[in-house]
Amino acid sequence: MPMVLLECDKDIPEREKHIYLKVDGEDTRDFLPVSNAQTIPGTLSERGCAFCGAKLVIGAVLKDTIQMIHGPIGCAYDTWHTKRYPTDNGHFNMKYVWSTDMKESQIVFGGEKRLEKSINEAFDEMPEIKRMFVYTTCPTALIGDDIKAVAKKVMAARPDVDIFTVECPGFAGVSQSKGHHVLNIGWINDKVGTLEPEITSEYTMNFIGDFNIQGDTQLLQAYWDRLGIQVIAHFTGNGTYDSLRGMHRAQLNVVNCARSSGYIANELKKQYGIPRLDIDSWGFNYMAEGIRKICAFFGIEDRGEALIADEYAKWKGRLDWYKERLKGTRMAIWTGGPRLWHWTKSVEDDLGVEVVAMSSKFGHQEDFEKVIARGRNGTYYIDDGNELEFFEIIDRVRPDVIFTGPRVGELVKKLHIPYVNGHGYHNGPYMGFEGFVNLARDMYNAVHNPLLKLAATDIRGPANATIREAAE
Amino acid sequence: MSSDKIDQLFDYVQERCLWQFFSRSWDRQENIDGIIRTATDLLTGVDPKRDQPMDRLFYADAKIMVADFRERFPWITAIEPAEVRALMGTLRERIVDLAITRSQNHELSHSIY
Repeated sequence: MPMVLLECDKDIPEREKHIYLKVDGEDTRDFLPVSNAQTIPGTLSERGCAFCGAKLVIGAVLKDTIQMIHGPIGCAYDTWHTKRYPTDNGHFNMKYVWSTDMKESQIVFGGEKRLEKSINEAFDEMPEIKRMFVYTTCPTALIGDDIKAVAKKVMAARPDVDIFTVECPGFAGVSQSKGHHVLNIGWINDKVGTLEPEITSEYTMNFIGDFNIQGDTQLLQAYWDRLGIQVIAHFTGNGTYDSLRGMHRAQLNVVNCARSSGYIANELKKQYGIPRLDIDSWGFNYMAEGIRKICAFFGIEDRGEALIADEYAKWKGRLDWYKERLKGTRMAIWTGGPRLWHWTKSVEDDLGVEVVAMSSKFGHQEDFEKVIARGRNGTYYIDDGNELEFFEIIDRVRPDVIFTGPRVGELVKKLHIPYVNGHGYHNGPYMGFEGFVNLARDMYNAVHNPLLKLAATDIRGPANATIREAAE
Repeated sequence: MSSDKIDQLFDYVQERCLWQFFSRSWDRQENIDGIIRTATDLLTGVDPKRDQPMDRLFYADAKIMVADFRERFPWITAIEPAEVRALMGTLRERIVDLAITRSQNHELSHSIY
């Protein structure tokens, strides 16, 4: 019974294994949705591709690195400017996009010469930039272009540049998750340990799995500065190429997004003996807990308590104002994977919000173990959900607000249900104490905005014209 | 030993602790063993080891968990050390059963990350 076959899935009954309704007395030993599995033919998946997972999510966040995409122009445009990760150097990463713009003749005769020319052109155009990621894409992987060899040739000719290659075409995995994996493992094997960082504090850590969405990294950095902890590398929010080469010197790896970046934390532990501490950076209670754990590791608990007290004094009153007005709000979370388990308890504990349905595009079973352990009974947990399933779930749970991406968001707006951008945020940052007040404010504005209700009223009255669909 | 007490501690761990759900079974086992051992020390008045980086990691997680145990379940401060050890041993077994032994996660035994 707890695995659910929706009415819209009656012709693709395999979907039943991907949708779970939690009931009292059960846990993940009894039921665990299938996930990180190939999308079932007949379902219109909303997943991204493996290349997108490497480039859009992790690589393109870096503030000092050319992101050369070896493929047709669409692979560049469609993975550029759809995430909002600013930097403190003028948003270099968001201003520019680079592509080898492969055409038919390069597909037929090979694209390595074009790649070499494009790499040199990019470095010549931007002489102050000395670092580059090169990505293969579906067509250039299929024709067998050797991007590593090209990168090696350019580095030999230009000794002041360094290039990292990511060989993860879109078809390499079932979703964008494969791209996270390939980039993580490639980086630790090729680049970590190739540069010694300057150590400026007796307490050092890497902060892993935070991508500075609307300034998350910069907000948290103020905490680490106050605590006197040097962040050797941010993987990869507001980060630099060379700082990531020095990750092997940190005493502690603090992990926020375990899905996109847990691999490198695991490898840093295996190869360099650096412990991995997983925390939640969204939510008051969770953020305080994370700071307490980091400070306990370094033996600087007093500093942590002083920071938490100051932040609570500054922000708790505002959070409580929103909590009073959001209590009992029914929320759906349809995002990538980890935000399901990061958010479900934090919005419940800090804001009194009930999460009634959650869908993950690329989460693995580990993510479902976490979210089902934390989530409520009577809540739906969905892997790789599609639009028809969303409509049916909406009918079942009647959410007041949905945190999701802009594409699905536009869809639910037509049902007059407000959405908040759960990927790039509406008005972030959302991490940390101040950030969670921002999240609460955006949720409040969405839920209490009268426009969606007004938009549902047909002002033409009862004698309104019938609009015939073109297909009728 | 009351099963109600075990249930309270287990429900807390389920809800709060990411360390039980690391990527592979050996990571989960290491975390569960280390953190429960350190938490048991803290609850029974023993100063836990903090010499090695992994000891300090276990201490960081255990310290916060023990503080929450004491705040949410005041009965834990009133029981004898022997009962605490038995309780924590049972808690450890239940977490191992859920997160490792009977976990349906197919990635737990992959040999690489």
